[in-house]
Amino acid sequence: MNRIAALMEKEFLDLRHHPGVFVPGLLTAAISIVLPFFVAVVIPAWTGERLSDSSDFQLALEMYRSQPISRTMDAEAAVQAWVFQQFLPLLVLAPVAASMSVAAYTVIGEKQARTLEPLLATPITTFELLTAKVLAALIPAVALSLGSFLVYAIGILLFAHTGAVRILLAPQSLAMAFLLGPLAALAALQLAVCVSSRVNDARSAQQIGALIIVPLAALLIGTLTGAIQLTPKLIAVISLILAGINVMLIRIGVSLFERESILTRWK
Amino acid sequence: MLSAVRLTRRFGDRLAVDAVTFDLGRGEIFALLGPNGAGKTTTLRMLAGLIEPSGGEVHLDQVRIPPARAAQLRARVGFLTEAPGLWDRLTVRENLHTYARLHGLRDPHGAVRQVMDTFRITDRADEPAAVLSKGLKQRVALARTLLHDPDIVLLDEPTSGLDPESARDVRAMILALRDQGRAVLLSTHNLDEVGRVASRVAVLRQRLLAVDTPAALRLKLFGNRVRIGITGHAGEFLPALRAGGHRDVIADDDALSVAITDAGRDVPHVVRVLVESGARIVAVTPEEHSLEDVYLRLVTGEAPS
Repeated sequence: MNRIAALMEKEFLDLRHHPGVFVPGLLTAAISIVLPFFVAVVIPAWTGERLSDSSDFQLALEMYRSQPISRTMDAEAAVQAWVFQQFLPLLVLAPVAASMSVAAYTVIGEKQARTLEPLLATPITTFELLTAKVLAALIPAVALSLGSFLVYAIGILLFAHTGAVRILLAPQSLAMAFLLGPLAALAALQLAVCVSSRVNDARSAQQIGALIIVPLAALLIGTLTGAIQLTPKLIAVISLILAGINVMLIRIGVSLFERESILTRWK
Repeated sequence: MLSAVRLTRRFGDRLAVDAVTFDLGRGEIFALLGPNGAGKTTTLRMLAGLIEPSGGEVHLDQVRIPPARAAQLRARVGFLTEAPGLWDRLTVRENLHTYARLHGLRDPHGAVRQVMDTFRITDRADEPAAVLSKGLKQRVALARTLLHDPDIVLLDEPTSGLDPESARDVRAMILALRDQGRAVLLSTHNLDEVGRVASRVAVLRQRLLAVDTPAALRLKLFGNRVRIGITGHAGEFLPALRAGGHRDVIADDDALSVAITDAGRDVPHVVRVLVESGARIVAVTPEEHSLEDVYLRLVTGEAPS
């Protein structure tokens, strides 16, 4: 554990000396926060048309009314709450996509800077090395996600209809922010680190790591179109699948990380 | 202390290191010489527990260390890689502190302070590694190598690319390691450096071509010879010397190179034969062969110029 902590601290120091890597993540998070406010607050205020009066939102409103937490809200607050909940996956996952570059570069960067050999000459195990690398990319990403969640909640409290903010306390929302989001982030970053240890180009690692976003993006589109309803049961199933994928990726990562090939074939 | 026992490594069909055997003792500087691609770095990496041998064994204090216990080897060995491999954005102190923790040292801050003092880098402690000169980077890398106080130190091209002053500093540090009783294995192309610091030398080209002290290698390859400068044509005196029992004689324009077995007995005899034959001797010197001569003879089979 001490070696994992040591290497993680080094990664954080490295990031602290190079804060520019967080700019894309912060921008993505900011856009993810602002976008639903445009849909739910700015556009209705600009056009003078309430969302709950629009026929486009009637179906959503009916579906949404079935949720206990929204039954006590007025119609406009309920539609706004629906919009805010639909954008939640984007808010939670966007910083992960941005921090993918950190994870993708992590092993390749060490190879390119020729810092990997002295590191491997210490008693650090492959598991410890990969764990430290993944956690060092995961923690800022999740912190950014949760920070965004907090800003989102404050924004809803300040700018949306009274009561809409309660939607963030719904089990689906909390599970999305605190369970599904971190698990998906962990899987994506593990995949990026695994690939990073096998390829010679950070871009390849980033692109392959980003594949994990594809099913989650499909999920987001599915929920927005009403094709999928993110019920607590579905979130639990997805979380279990992601947990399984994460365990599998740890094993795959350790077996794919060939110290010898990295040292002898990389020039 | 550390032994390579018939150490072999293949990369696919290519044989990189073939049944290399040698011992590295306490308080010794042992130099591994060889051309590019001879297998020096691969040998070092196997001894450092970084890559697994395809055959043969690594022994530590006469105990075989199987590949599964390579971490044990890494904890005992300090390995200076060919590139300093410092994290550029981190300061010198942060670089060293991370390694102190990776080695599980009880007092990482104290260990870092100590090596920074030893290697005279304390005044640069809070500068990023990126801004250091190549010589300073190498000094920091050496400090990193010794953070966990290893009794075995493997150095891969430690002075490669350094200016003469930095190289001299590094050599002084290598000698200090020996004086502290550590076993030092040095891989290098720098024959002058080997001549200055190494007590034993191994010449490697996939397999070991020779292992011994530099003096013993000179003697084995070139024998013991004396060079006699004379006025006139040296070739004229060849018959007299041969008649006097000195069969292995080479004549240059104005000098003779004569093989001897016992300097105290043979040199006066050679001089007497030449004087009696009318030679006017201007100098008598033992014939010196450089380590480069030894190396080239072993690696290429070339005779010294």
